[in-house]
Parts: sequence; C-alpha cells; structure tokens
Amino acid sequence: MAKIGIMSFAHMHAEAYAASVNRRSDAQLVAVWDDDPKRGADAAKRHNTRFVDDLDAFLDSGLEGVVITSENVKHRELTERAAAAGLWVLSEKPLATTIEDGKAMIEACRSAGVGLGTAFPCRYIPSIQAVRAELEAGKYGDIYAVTCTNNGQFPGGWFGVEALSGGGATMDHTVHVADLLRWMLGKEFVSVYCENGHLMGRDTALDDVGVLHLEMDGGTIVSHIASWNRAKSFPTWGDVTMEFVGEKGVVEVDAFNQKLNVYDDRTMRAQWAYWGGDPDLGLVSDFIESVNERREPAITGEDGFRALEVTVAAYKSAASRQRVAI
Amino acid sequence: MRLAVIGCGGMGTIHASLAARCGFEVVACGDSRLDKAKALAEQHNAEAADDCLALVKRPDVEVVAVATPTPTHGAYVRAAAEAGKHVFCEKPFTRTPEEGEETLAAVKRSGVKLLVGHVVRYFQEFEAIRERVQNGSIGKVGFVKTYRGGIYPRGEGAWFHDYAQSGGVVFDSSIHDLDWIRYVFGNPTRVYCQALQRSDPLDYGMVTMWFDQGLITHTIGTWAHPGGFRVKVEVCGDQGMVTLDSKEAPISAMMRETAGGGPSMIVPGSPVPVSPYQLEWEDFAAWMRDGRTPRVQPEDAVWAVRIAHGALESARTGAPVAL
Ligand SMILES: NC(=O)c1ccc[n+]([C@@H]2O[C@H](COP(=O)([O-])OP(=O)(O)OC[C@H]3O[C@@H](n4cnc5c(N)ncnc54)[C@H](O)[C@@H]3O)[C@@H](O)[C@H]2O)c1
Repeated sequence: MAKIGIMSFAHMHAEAYAASVNRRSDAQLVAVWDDDPKRGADAAKRHNTRFVDDLDAFLDSGLEGVVITSENVKHRELTERAAAAGLWVLSEKPLATTIEDGKAMIEACRSAGVGLGTAFPCRYIPSIQAVRAELEAGKYGDIYAVTCTNNGQFPGGWFGVEALSGGGATMDHTVHVADLLRWMLGKEFVSVYCENGHLMGRDTALDDVGVLHLEMDGGTIVSHIASWNRAKSFPTWGDVTMEFVGEKGVVEVDAFNQKLNVYDDRTMRAQWAYWGGDPDLGLVSDFIESVNERREPAITGEDGFRALEVTVAAYKSAASRQRVAI
Repeated sequence: MRLAVIGCGGMGTIHASLAARCGFEVVACGDSRLDKAKALAEQHNAEAADDCLALVKRPDVEVVAVATPTPTHGAYVRAAAEAGKHVFCEKPFTRTPEEGEETLAAVKRSGVKLLVGHVVRYFQEFEAIRERVQNGSIGKVGFVKTYRGGIYPRGEGAWFHDYAQSGGVVFDSSIHDLDWIRYVFGNPTRVYCQALQRSDPLDYGMVTMWFDQGLITHTIGTWAHPGGFRVKVEVCGDQGMVTLDSKEAPISAMMRETAGGGPSMIVPGSPVPVSPYQLEWEDFAAWMRDGRTPRVQPEDAVWAVRIAHGALESARTGAPVAL
C-alpha cells in the first residue's frame, strides 16, 4: 500500500492526481501539504485526507512518495526536501525552469536512492499510444517532418508571474509535445529556433505565444506551437495535435478529439465535452507501482530534463534570434 | 479586349475560359508544345503558336495571360510590357525578387497594367475572415496559422519536381498564404522556414513570420499527402478567434467504383456562385474599364516573391531572413 502525499495544490492538475490516488486500491492518500494553508486544507477535505501545515511534520508522516504540484519554480526545493526524507517524487511538468534546477533535482533523488518521475500524462492517451505503436512498427516508414500544437486558454494566476512560473506559454506548453516526440520517434532534439512574445493581450507580461522550429537526430524537421491563444469562449481548454509526415504515409493525431459537441442554453455557449480515457490515472498508477516496487517511474526525471532543455534553448533562441543547439 | 494566352497547361486552360466569360476574346494560344497550344486554341477558335515571344508582340493582341512554369514568367511579362500589352500573370510572379523588381520596373516604364494571380485574396471564405479581422470583431490579432496542400502536383514536363524551377511547396503553394497574410496584416519583418524538398518527390514546409505590431504567423504547406486537398486557417485575437477548415464542406461524396477500379477518395465540395479565378478577371477588367484599383497590385506580387524566397533562403541557412 503506497502511502502518498501531495505537496501543494497550486497547480490545477493536483485535483486529478489526488482523485487518481484515491481510485487505486494499492495506494492511500495520507496527507496534503501546501504553503497556502487554506488552499491545502480545502483540498484535503475534498479528497478525504488530512492537511499538515508544517513541512517537516508532513515529510515525517509515514509517507513513501509525494506528488509535487506547486508553482514551477518551487519544484526543486520541494524535491530536495522530499528526497532527503527518502520519498519517491512525481514532479508536475515542467520538471524545473532552469538547467541548474533540473540537474539538482535529478542529483538529489539519485543520491538519496529514490525514484523521480515527471508528470507527462499525454503518454497515457490511447490515441497517442496507438500512433506510437504504428510508428514503431514502421507503418509510416521514416518520419521526415512533424507539425505540432499545444494550444490553450490562458490559465491565469501564478502561470503569468515569471518569479513563480519561470516563463509564459513557451514554458508551459512546450514540454508535453517535446516529450511525446522523443518517446514516439525514439530520437533526441538537436536544435531549436523560436519566435515568441506577449501578443495575445493575456493578463501577464510573459510570452503568450511561442512558435518553435526544431530539428531531431537524423534530420527530422518539426514545428510546434506553444500557446495561450485560445479565446475564453473557445469550446474547450485547448489541444495537443501532431501531424507526422513519413515515407509511406501521413498520420494526424488530435489527442483530445474524443468529444461531444454540447449546446447548453443555460450557459449560452457551445462546448466540447471530452469522453476519452483518463490519462492522469495511467500516470499516477505507474507512480504508485514504482513506489510499491521501489523502482524508477516509467517517465523519469531525465525525460523531464530533456524536455526542459528544449524549453530553455527556445527562450535563448527567442532572445538571440538565432538557432540554438540543444 | 483581345487576349493571348501563353502556357496552355492546367492554369492556362482555366484562364482562357474564365477570361472569355468576362468579355475577353481569346485570339491566340501559345505553348512551347504546339500540340497543347492547338488543343486550347481549338476550344476558342483562336490561333496556335509555339513561338510565344512573337505571339506577345502581335499587333492585334491587347492583353497577355502568362501561365507557364514560374521561371519563364519574367521574360514573357517584360516582352509583353515592352510591346505595350496589359498582362495577367500567374503567381509566383518570378522565381527571384531581383527578377521581380526588374520585371516590375519594365511594367512601370511602359505604363501597362499588371495583375498577378494571388487568387486566395479572391476566395470568399478568406475575404470573410479578412472582414472580421478588419472590423475588429476578434480584437488585436497576435497569432495566425494557415495550412494548405495535399497531393504532389502533376504539372506538364515535371517542372514542379525540379525545386530550382518551382521552389517546391513553400514557394509555389504557401506563397498564397504568405501573400494573403501580408494583405491582411501588412509587411513582415523577418521569416524563418524549414522545408523538406525531397526528390521522392515529396515536399512539406513550415514558415514562421514576425510582424513588428506584435504578430507571429505560422504557415504549413504540404505536397506530402497521398491524396486530397485541405486548407485550414486560424486567426487568434485578444477578444476571440476565427477558424476555417475546408474539410467542413456542404458536399462530400465517395464513389463505389471509379474508372481506375477501386473506390474514390472523399473530395469535399464547396461550390460558389462565382469562381475566385473568375473574380480575378472581373477585377482586371474593371481596372482597365473604370480605373478601379485591383485587389492585387503589382508591388504585392514582388513582395510575395521576396517573402517566399526569403523563406527558402532561411530553410537553406537555418537562420531567420530579414525582409
Ligand atoms: N493560382 C493557382 O491556384 C495556381 C495553381 C496551379 C499553378 N499555378 C501557377 O500557374 C503556372 C502554371 O502552372 P500549371 O499548373 O498550369 O503548369 P502546367 O505544367 O500544367 O502548364 C504549363 C504549360 O506551359 C508550357 N510551357 C512550359 N515552358 C514553356 C515556355 N518556356 N514557353 C511557353 N510555354 C511553356 C507547358 O508545355 C505547359 O503546357 C505556374 O506559375 C504555377 O505556379 C497557380
């Protein structure tokens, strides 16, 4: 029985992770800690667990693993604390906001002998898994080019504050797809060119649109849009899409296009209601099993770091207006 | 007005019949392959010729339509202008910006009218998007994405396959979107591009432009799909969005059997009262008749070449190109 704690409900994904832990019979949600006591206490109540105000007391409450869903820049410190207490760590994406922090997190977990995972739940979306299997089986032959998007509505709050998020839409919406590309194609990134800026009038000083031109091993060319360009009235939060152009054919994945079109007179707004499988449950299940089996999570800290490298290089490119090696 | 059509392939054939519908009289058809010139000339009771430079200079010709492979446009346009003929020329205007400027100068010197076929400006759906942007209904626009393409084109003599001639999907096809974006949003400052340009043949390209008012655009062009044709547009403003997808069309059909044997592809149909290619000729005719400023001005055509050529240079060097 994996004893799991959640560190901070600053990130909205904490809701789904907490619910996923509670759905597993081989895990128990033992405690919540949060540097915002009200937010933490409310969340603990919602998820039938207890709130522990004091971080030392929380780390000492019989836990075996923690899910860290704080603001991006706090991942490092919380990971170091958890690792020092001998706990397995699942960090929300992005793993960190700087190369230095990412390395420190990996090192802290390695030297403490605990597992470190990065929350890339998109790997658990059935359509993504199906296309990955086809790519691996060579159905489309060599892949020459890929165009991707991770668009979204502006999440607001600390996401728009650099001191907490470490960056804007490019920081928020690059790593999911960067990880998927590495995982689906089995290739690493070589270089990036990025144009980004605060262009959509979102309530932040940070970039709300980024366009990345990437190159992978073997010359595969990739473009990716990382954005908060979706209108408030858009029928859903956003998307993850990829179009692969290969030797034998093309395949397009629109990962959340398993939806109902909903027209609701009470809200006077058309909406897309997603009915597809719950990728967060797959992610959390693997983490729980990794805790129980004392093994590395399937999606490692190293995976999180590789995706982070792309983001950091993208910001460097945007500042220098040059292609940057990764 | 009396019209000579040069280049009697796919586009030349279309232009001859649409120009005829707009009151132009097709008097001569020229093609370096006389059989093709003859085939089109027959449909219009016109004369056929394989010496197109001579044809351009015929005194009875008042307007010349150039629909030959891209690198040959410039010489015909200059010859026509020097002979005092008005010119309709297919896009891309020329293969290089230098030749574009030289050709534009010849047109200006002679005082003839030149309309280059940036037909997307005449597509009703694109015009509807432009109107929405212009009337401010989605606020200040910060991001635009366009997508265009499908199967690899099959031109006469495989000139599309020779990237030195056609420029591939970015120069030949994405130029439509790059021009339309500039039409709506003004001049871009720099361009970045990646392009496949494979000899399979197969081509796919991604072009990003930066505009100083605070706009990034991303244009995807494909000649890499095994079939079909699709256009998508997405315009994002600070107060809303507009999107378009040609897959969402009023008609879609699939035949149980085709002449080739198997079942056919689904080809969505979206018929319109007047073809955008005809609107080009109506615009051209109105310019000549009433002096009304046409939707595509000669400088626009050179700009489109400059952007698309800059994109190819960026794809080659891996660095952004200032425009
Ligand atoms: N606006 C559009 O939607 C659109 C669509 C397709 C092509 N185009 C453009 O139209 C032009 C023609 O393309 P197409 O698809 O009709 O090509 P095509 O290959 O079908 O036709 C070209 C014709 O020109 C003839 N030709 C070749 N070299 C010549 C020369 N030196 N002098 C005289 N004739 C010559 C060929 O024999 C052929 O009949 C190109 O510039 C292309 O980029 C525009």
